[in-house]
Amino acid sequence: MTWRPTALNISFLTVVGWALFLTVVTGRVELAVVAVPAIVALVAGRRPGAPPAWRIHRELSTARLLEDECVTVTVTLRGEGALPLVELLEPLPPRVGLERGSNHAFFTLPAGREIRWTFELRGVGRQHLRLEGPYVRVWGPLGLAAAEARHRAPVTAAVYPRHAPIRYLPHPRRTQTFVGNYVSPTQGAGIEPGDIRPFAPGDQIRHVNWRATLKLGALHVTRHHQERNADVVLLLDTLSEVGPDGETVVDAAARGAAALAAAYLARKDRVGLIEYGGQPRWVRPGAGRAHLERLLDTLLSASVVFTYVNRDLDLVPPRILPPQALVVALSPLLDRRFVRAATDLAARGFDLLVIAVSPVPAARAAARRSAVADVAARLWALERRAELEEYRRHGLTIVEWDGAEPLDAVLAAWSRRSRRRVLAG
Amino acid sequence: MMRLAAMVLLAVVAALPLGVRPSTPPVTWLAVAALAVGGVGVVAWSVPVVTAAGSLVVIAYALALAIAGAADDSLTAIVLGAALVLLLALVHFGGRVRGAMIGPSVIASQARQWLAVVGLGAVAAVVLAAVATPLGVALRRATLPMVVIAAALGAVLTVAGVIALVAREGSRDPES
Repeated sequence: MTWRPTALNISFLTVVGWALFLTVVTGRVELAVVAVPAIVALVAGRRPGAPPAWRIHRELSTARLLEDECVTVTVTLRGEGALPLVELLEPLPPRVGLERGSNHAFFTLPAGREIRWTFELRGVGRQHLRLEGPYVRVWGPLGLAAAEARHRAPVTAAVYPRHAPIRYLPHPRRTQTFVGNYVSPTQGAGIEPGDIRPFAPGDQIRHVNWRATLKLGALHVTRHHQERNADVVLLLDTLSEVGPDGETVVDAAARGAAALAAAYLARKDRVGLIEYGGQPRWVRPGAGRAHLERLLDTLLSASVVFTYVNRDLDLVPPRILPPQALVVALSPLLDRRFVRAATDLAARGFDLLVIAVSPVPAARAAARRSAVADVAARLWALERRAELEEYRRHGLTIVEWDGAEPLDAVLAAWSRRSRRRVLAG
Repeated sequence: MMRLAAMVLLAVVAALPLGVRPSTPPVTWLAVAALAVGGVGVVAWSVPVVTAAGSLVVIAYALALAIAGAADDSLTAIVLGAALVLLLALVHFGGRVRGAMIGPSVIASQARQWLAVVGLGAVAAVVLAAVATPLGVALRRATLPMVVIAAALGAVLTVAGVIALVAREGSRDPES
C-alpha cells in the first residue's frame, strides 16, 4: 500500500495557477499571497514513506439464515500506527440489502487502538452470501493523498429459502415400516383403536375391551392401527425459469419444497429430493434435523442449467425414488420434458401430486407495466388453465400455486376440495 | 451541518472581492457567478465545480485590485487564500463521507488538521507579504519587463515544482 495523490491536488493547483498567473498580469503581490496557503497545503499534504499498518477482523453473526432474515457483520479495525482518517467500504453482493448501519464508514484511530464497526445485512432470495472483504483507504492531511488496499478475507453465510409452516400436508397413500404419524390400515401396536376380536393367549390385559366383553359374554380385546411414517420425494423442476432475479419460479418452487420438507420431517417422515434439470441431483430420503439442513443446502444451489441432453427419471435409483413414496413435484410445467416425466411417473403408479407454480405473476413482475402486457398475461393465464385441465385428464393431480400466497392455504383448499369430491363419490 | 459550513465559507470567499471594490459591475457579476456556481458545487459536493467557483473568485479579486488600484491589502488576500483552501478541503471531505457512517471524533480530528495546515499557510503568507513590500520598493527602479519576466519565471517555477512534487508521489505507486 503506497500513498497516491488525489484529484484534490488538481483543484489546489488550479487555484495556485490562477493566482500566480494573475499576479504576473496585474503586478499585485496580494494575488501571490492568495496562492500561499494552497501551496503550503500541497506541500503539507505530501506523505513520505508507507502508510501505517492496520489489521482487520470480520465476522458474521451466523453462518446460516433464512431469506429475509438479517445477519450482523462485525468489523474490528486495529491500527498499528496512528490513522488520522481511514475509510472502509464493504461492497455488497447483489440481492443483499443493508438493513441497519452503513457498509461505508470513516474512522480516526490512534496508534495501537481498535474500533468495532457493525452493520446488518438482509439476504434477499436464497443464495450463498459471500462478502469478499472491505476496501481500506487511509487518507492523508486535507485529503491530498490516499493509500488504498483491499483486505481480501471472504466470509460466507448460507441464505436458505424461507419455509412457512404447513399444516395441511398431502397424505401419502402408502406408508413405510418405521414409526410415524400416519394411521396405517395394518393392525398392530399403536394408539388408534381398530377392530375388536376375541381374547387369545398372549394378549395384554390392558387391551381388553370391557364393554364388548360384558355385552358379548366372552373376553374381547381391542386391536390398534399401527402408526407409520412415509417416504416423500420432492421433485423440483429446474429445467426452466421465469421471473426477476431472486423471485423466479425456481425460487418459489425451492421455497415450497423447503416448507414441505420441514413439515414432513416434523411428522417423522423420510424426505428425499430430486432436482430434475440440466444436471440432475438428488438427496436420498432421510429423516431428522441434519437431513433438513442437507435438503436446504441442495435447494440453496438449485438452479437452471441449460442442456440439450434429455435425462429420464428411470435413471434415478429406486433407493432415491422408492416405489411406495409420495412424490410431490414442484414445477411451473413450462418444459415438456418435465410434463412427460411426471405423466410417466403417474402412469407407473406413483403417488404423485404436482404443485404447479404459476409463471404468470413472475413474468409479469419481470416485464414493464403496460396494457398490452396485462392482456398478454391474462391470455397466458387462460391458456395455462386449459393446459392444466389437459394434464389432469392425463391422470396428473395438480394443485395450482402462484408462488406468492402461502402454500398452506393452497393445500388446505385443495384437501377440502378433494375430501368433498370423495364424499360425493 | 457540513454543507452549512461550506455555504458560509463560500459566501465569505465570494464577498471578499466585493470588499476591495464594492458595486463595480464586472466584479459584482463575477462574485455573483462564483456564488451561484459554488452553491451548486456545495449542494452536489462537487470539487471541480467548487474549484471553478474559486477560480472565478480569484479572477474577481484580481479585477477588483486592478480597478481599485488600492494600496497593499495583504490581510484580505490571506483570508481569501485560507478560506479557499478550507472550502475545497471541506467540499472534498463532504463528498467522500456522503452516506457513510462517521466514527466518533472524525470531524474534530479533521477540523484540527485543516486548521493546522491553514494556519501554517497563513503564517507563510504573512511572511511573504512582509518580504514582498521591501522587495517591491527595491525593485521599483528596475525596468518593468525585467520584473514581469522574473515574476512569470517565479510563477512558472512554483507551479512546475508543485506538479513535480505531486507527480513524483504518484509515480511511486506501481499501479499508477
